Amino acid sequence: MKTSQIIIQAEKIVRTFHDGTREQSVLKGIDLTVERGEFLAIVGRSGAGKSTFLYQLGLLDTPTSGRLVLDGKETSHLNETEKSQFRLFELGYVFQDYALLPELTALENVAVPLIMQGHAIKDAYKKSAVALGRVGLGQRLDHIPAKLSGGEQQRVSIARAVAHDPKIIFADEPTANLDSETSEAVMDVFLDLHREGQTIVMVTHEDEYASLADRVITLSDGTVKSSTHKKS
Amino acid sequence: MFLSLRTGFFLAVRQIKRSGKGTTALIIFIMVLTFLNLVVVSGLLVGLITGSFKQFREGYSGEVLITPEAGRDYIENSPALISFLENHPKVENIAPRYGMNVQVLGTLIDLPAKNERPNRIGTRLVGIDLEREEAVTGFSRFVTYGENLKEGEEGYILIGANILKKYSSFADANIPGLDLLEDVEVGDRVRASFTRAEGDIVSKDFIVKGILKSKVDEVSTRMFVTDRELKKLLAVNQEQFQAISVRTDYAYAPTLVRETKEFMNGYEARIQTTDEAIPSFLRDIETTFGILGNALSSIALVVASITVFIVIFINAVTKRKFIGIMKGIGISPSAIQFSYVFQAIFYGAIGSVIGLLLTFGVLKPYFDANPIDFPFSDGILVATIEGALIRIAILLTVTLIAGYVPAKLIIRKNTLDSILGR
Repeated sequence: MKTSQIIIQAEKIVRTFHDGTREQSVLKGIDLTVERGEFLAIVGRSGAGKSTFLYQLGLLDTPTSGRLVLDGKETSHLNETEKSQFRLFELGYVFQDYALLPELTALENVAVPLIMQGHAIKDAYKKSAVALGRVGLGQRLDHIPAKLSGGEQQRVSIARAVAHDPKIIFADEPTANLDSETSEAVMDVFLDLHREGQTIVMVTHEDEYASLADRVITLSDGTVKSSTHKKS
Repeated sequence: MFLSLRTGFFLAVRQIKRSGKGTTALIIFIMVLTFLNLVVVSGLLVGLITGSFKQFREGYSGEVLITPEAGRDYIENSPALISFLENHPKVENIAPRYGMNVQVLGTLIDLPAKNERPNRIGTRLVGIDLEREEAVTGFSRFVTYGENLKEGEEGYILIGANILKKYSSFADANIPGLDLLEDVEVGDRVRASFTRAEGDIVSKDFIVKGILKSKVDEVSTRMFVTDRELKKLLAVNQEQFQAISVRTDYAYAPTLVRETKEFMNGYEARIQTTDEAIPSFLRDIETTFGILGNALSSIALVVASITVFIVIFINAVTKRKFIGIMKGIGISPSAIQFSYVFQAIFYGAIGSVIGLLLTFGVLKPYFDANPIDFPFSDGILVATIEGALIRIAILLTVTLIAGYVPAKLIIRKNTLDSILGR
């Protein structure tokens, strides 16, 4: 495997939480590499550490120990502002409960990170409209989240994650709150993005959707229990 | 920083636009009340005293008041001074007055009973030129009962209401040393006694022609006859006035004082602008009321800042998860903070603008036209644009802090904890 093809390189990632005098290790030294353009699914039982691992990879949390290189950048030395900038420009996130700002329309929700990046508002709107069009919401630009269905809100969330062409998209249980029909529609969006070459790391507890990924790793008790590549 | 400001503004505008109309209206209403409290409460308190200054100027002193120098009986060089003032292009009118201290006996029919004090008080008898006095002070408006004096008539007197027991505001106060005339009405006869310069004691009876009501003590605690009659009583051969009120442009008054002093060139008289003539204790009261008003306003300011703090805090707490997510997707904490600060400033600014319009478009014109009837003055609303702008700046600063602090408290929470609601 060529180094340049590796976009995520995690070595011995440990995450320990302290609860008073009690210490709980949620991640116990996980090693992982993800190739550019790969669609990786992380599965496991509740409490296995899936989401915690995703937060470490997505720079939303800081590992207790271990080394993480994203797109060739060593992240352990980044301060909060640098991490925030990295997340803004290089990463995209899709959360379980959509996480849209209730007062902003679909278009505005997608545009906010672009505006923060420095795009002119008009330009941000244009890019956002394109992103929303890609997820099939070209006709719902001016709707606030309350006027959208769960599936539509999740697609807005995906549009927000992809609008700035991130290097990696992290998705935390993106179908958990959706019915099966809507979940499939959302997964179709992920598959479309993957076909376009987007690197995606998705946590899910649904094997059916995990099986759509190139590779599935199973976490158990803070360690990688198995890693399965899709049969081609 | 610019990107944070721009993003914060973008978020704030949309949050304000789409937040509950009722809540927004309530916050703005509170900000309006705060602004009014800041400007109107202190403005009215100061206005009580300023109103009395205004009445003193309009009802007695004019813009420049000339009185005898301390220890002197009259204004020196009065005839030449009158001529100087009459010919001065900036002087609109003058009201020269004679005056002397008199003892007034109120009841001429009944003699006092044994151990009973005579119905007598000491006061000042003032001789006025009716036409000129009217031009400077609008004297006739003070005649509340009976009639004004007429030019050429003698033996008639006007009495200030505050020396008559029946009309005085202090009659029921039982103030030691405050003597009031009893049973004196329009048409009654009173006797004024005084001592001439040569030592002769002179008495003259007058018929009360009218009673004067005014919140200016120089009117309401004195008695008035025509200048011709008083001049006769004083037995002076030339014009030796005890007061000259000069009506001129208010802004020109200091210059006129300087010019008049130059003209007097050694002749003694106290020449003051109306502001200088106001007793210093009244100035002290004005300052005290100003401090009191500011103290009350400060309480309003604290209440407003707490209100904004709570509103922003609740807003930020309920959106903690969204704040976490915004931070998570790379929106800078300062951009999120700015969005709350902009919202707070919006509430403060809109409240101030409405308050400004209410103050200068409604309240000030109203109180100017309908002063508050206080016993010692007609209270007006003292509010200047400069003063209001300073208060707006204070209000905006306070709301800015009240918006910044809660947002900061919420935003500094761990991003992941906020996202997960931990």
